[in-house]
Amino acid sequence: MSGSNPLELYNKMLKEARAEIESKENRARVLVGTATCGVSAGALKIKEDFNREIKEKSLDVDVIEVGCMGHCYAEPLAVIAKPGYPPVCYGYLDDGLVHRLVEDFLDGDDPSYEYALAALERNDVFPTFEDFPRGVYEKKLILEKCGYIDARDIKGYIARDGYSAMAKALTGEPHQVLEEVKAANLRGRGGAGFPAGIKWEACMNGGAEEKYVICNADEGDPGAFMDRSILESDPHLVIEGMILCAYAIGAQKGYLYIRAEYPRAVGHVQEAIDQARAKGLLGNSILGSEFDFDLEIFQGSGAFVCGEATALVNSMEGKMGMPESRPPRLASQGFRGKPTILNNVKTFAYVPFIINRGADWFKGIGTEESPGTAVFSLVGKVTNTGLVEVPMGTTLRQLIYDVGDGLPNDKEFKAVQIGGPSGGCLPESALDVPIDFDSLHDAGAIMGSGGLVVMDEDDCMAAVARYFLEFTQHESCGKCTFCRLGTKHMLDILNDITRGEGDAETLGLLKELAEDVRDGSLCNLGKTAPNPVLTTLEYFYEEYKAHLEEGRCPALVCRDLILYYIEPPKCSKLCNVCVGSCPTEAIFTRDDGLKEIDQEKCVKCDNCLKACPPEYNAIVKLSPPVLPPEKEKKAK
Amino acid sequence: MQLLEGEKEQILDCVKEVLIESSKKSEDLIPILQKVQAKLGYLPALAMEKIAEGTGVSGADVYGLATFYNQFRLNPPGDHQVKVCLGTACYMVGGDITLESFERRMEIREGETSPDRRYSLERVACVGCCTMAPVVVVDNEVEGKVTPTRVDGIMLALEGESGKAKESRDAEKEEGEQK
Amino acid sequence: MNEHVKITIDDREVKARPGQKLLWAALENDIFIPHLCAIEAEKRPNASCRLCFVEIEGVPNPVTSCTKTVEDGMVVKTRSSRVDRLVKTAFELLLSDHDLKCRECPANRNCALQTIAKERGLKLRQKRFTPVARNYETDDSPEEFAFNRSRCVLCGQCVWADRRENKIGVIGFAKRGINRVVTTFQDLPLAESICKECTVCVDVCPVGALYYKEPEE
Repeated sequence: MSGSNPLELYNKMLKEARAEIESKENRARVLVGTATCGVSAGALKIKEDFNREIKEKSLDVDVIEVGCMGHCYAEPLAVIAKPGYPPVCYGYLDDGLVHRLVEDFLDGDDPSYEYALAALERNDVFPTFEDFPRGVYEKKLILEKCGYIDARDIKGYIARDGYSAMAKALTGEPHQVLEEVKAANLRGRGGAGFPAGIKWEACMNGGAEEKYVICNADEGDPGAFMDRSILESDPHLVIEGMILCAYAIGAQKGYLYIRAEYPRAVGHVQEAIDQARAKGLLGNSILGSEFDFDLEIFQGSGAFVCGEATALVNSMEGKMGMPESRPPRLASQGFRGKPTILNNVKTFAYVPFIINRGADWFKGIGTEESPGTAVFSLVGKVTNTGLVEVPMGTTLRQLIYDVGDGLPNDKEFKAVQIGGPSGGCLPESALDVPIDFDSLHDAGAIMGSGGLVVMDEDDCMAAVARYFLEFTQHESCGKCTFCRLGTKHMLDILNDITRGEGDAETLGLLKELAEDVRDGSLCNLGKTAPNPVLTTLEYFYEEYKAHLEEGRCPALVCRDLILYYIEPPKCSKLCNVCVGSCPTEAIFTRDDGLKEIDQEKCVKCDNCLKACPPEYNAIVKLSPPVLPPEKEKKAK
Repeated sequence: MQLLEGEKEQILDCVKEVLIESSKKSEDLIPILQKVQAKLGYLPALAMEKIAEGTGVSGADVYGLATFYNQFRLNPPGDHQVKVCLGTACYMVGGDITLESFERRMEIREGETSPDRRYSLERVACVGCCTMAPVVVVDNEVEGKVTPTRVDGIMLALEGESGKAKESRDAEKEEGEQK
Repeated sequence: MNEHVKITIDDREVKARPGQKLLWAALENDIFIPHLCAIEAEKRPNASCRLCFVEIEGVPNPVTSCTKTVEDGMVVKTRSSRVDRLVKTAFELLLSDHDLKCRECPANRNCALQTIAKERGLKLRQKRFTPVARNYETDDSPEEFAFNRSRCVLCGQCVWADRRENKIGVIGFAKRGINRVVTTFQDLPLAESICKECTVCVDVCPVGALYYKEPEE
């Protein structure tokens, strides 16, 4: 034993980290956002471009990879921090812009504000993200450091007081951590919102010597990516939260269950674990204390159902990811039959804040019943897509119109889908619902893990319900009757509806079956799978009816109920763009020079409609799929 | 499926190597299968048989695992793997149309490998790049905003590469024959 | 400690062993509750067939009796409109994926599905759901028995019996969701698998999916 106390050891570490980071910050730096979303927009090439341009000019500038700042709509983006100027974020980068920024700003002294999105620090020259309209609503806690620090260097995290909550906790008693989390009323961010402190207490009292802490990073909801982003951008925050949990309940071993589709997150977390271990922040006698705890990654193998607690544990034990009936709960009998805490990435990420700043501070954010913030991935038909963090209690309208800046292309709002395949579609009338666990549940949706997809007038609600059912049916583990066969028959019925097949009884049967699957399924995947169907039936019944009674898809989406048609008066005759765009050679030039679509050959891929120049706009979709009588033909 | 010459030894060596590094407990089955697949590209029947023997688990259970999880494949993948994301955001902006475009260009259906083993096409639930929708993963590189026209671009690039690979293979063969 | 607990099922007071699951307490007292997947010796109930729903006083929603441990003074109803609705739907869902040629089936008149239909007044020919199209081939490779998957309701009784009898299991569940099946390694015909034809699986099949071949005349 070294005899020194954890806080002393930590403070030494902090001082060193700060000194090193500060010396780096005294030089010009380029921070390129290279989370998976940035990479898909070409961020790695942008990084190369910066390196090349900087080398050509022989500048002394570091180019560093950072995570995601949440402004995904402007990817690829980078921050240039040059001493003497506020750090500035630039979006929509390409090689030309990189060249210009290096030449004018890094080599010269013109920050090229005309290309800047925002500054990151308050200054007299250029507005910051907080000055945006969305700044009023945003409150960044767990996303605070995402995109601002080098996720692959532990010192960046430490220099911003990272691991200080852990050092503080280690000088006190485990029950103090538990009491603080309980007092904060931190509710689990995985979906249902069960209070984490109560779970932890049950686990602490679970009796056994051996206990486990597992982080559920099997983010399977299509349309949600905040867990990936946090793990890629600020992995140590989650690790610190897990260590605090382990200390509180007396666990010696923890696992991060990360889905296979997130290779970058796996890489960053593994590096973070290794670095933490090397610094004595993980492993035996953490920070010289008597507390031992170590972490390992378990990679999922692609099964949505493994987001379900019991299925996740089964899969970690080398079995099929099948849910089990509960009780017993994991807190008493979990991994290897031992008391286990399973919490979501975001739940753990809040813990260091709560320990550092206290339960009262945490409860000062959000609502009484749902304290803290909510993190959403805002996607779909919304102008500013990306990651957002707002206090609980913010309304959906504020989130979509103020933070997300509304819908693009002057389209009309139709619905917002919250909570992925387990959630529901809420209409315009529900936009003033405050975002918290209970209000969303009452409205028919769920908080879920935080996917929020905005839909406009061009989206068909029957098709959306069909999409989600196809997903859950494909991901159903097949163990219990209701989910295995119920989702199959629901999908069959929805397939019929989107083809206009069915009668008055069809919608009644669909609703009946959906309710029974909800009430009769074994696990939460099955119990919540009907939500997209039940909410769309409730709020968009007329749209379903139009499919069945008129063979019409009002949103012009369902391909069996629409056809593509070139309006003769609008067609230019001289332009051949549509003919070239068609992958099946369905468009031909008639004797009179007009273009026409051979309906037999058309696969309704939408290419021609997108290709037709806006000045003509000659191609339309018609539903029901009936060609209008042709006047020209008569003239011929 | 008939194994080519040398493949059997390769499989046996690979499984042996992975098992030595593991605890050989049934609990480690999924990491074992993942590692074997990472090395071989798929899980041949012979590999599963040997893994079952090595861990003392019934072959039926190993087969059960391999067929339960999306990640595992029982047939060799193509030279180029294209995965089309059909997450909510991608689906809403025409991910299914992107998938169909690939199907047309590759002349296979999703879940299949082309007969010449050049391409395999899969759908994935969500790769978490929803703001870049529609997204596809081409040989582990994530590509955003993939419209049907972009599909043509991607395919042209892949065809070029495969063409080169084929040429060099042919050249090697010729060289070998000349010798 | 009490040797037994007293519970009331359908207005009848019955005795149950402490820790016993409600389903078994009812069955021991000749009170019928539909079930296919339950195995008393199994530590954690399978709870997959979703047929054994009951109402318990003080519990807001119907619960599966195979997962509910008896408690002294528990008041149980095996029938209610909600229970009947769930059982009917679960039963019809199973039938939509079951080859209904009863007259050709060796389990005819000795079939768990027929028993449930009779006890609960349910029809074997359900009309709500389009039958799931399957093209499974019957595996008649073993000498004494055969396996017709299109009759299988995935209750798991055969897999359990196989694991109890044989150290290394011959059959198991494979695939996922609607494609879930009971099968051998690599879907091999039983005769080509490690099956030694102990036939314990045939003895427990409640629906005639695994059945003894008729002796050839």
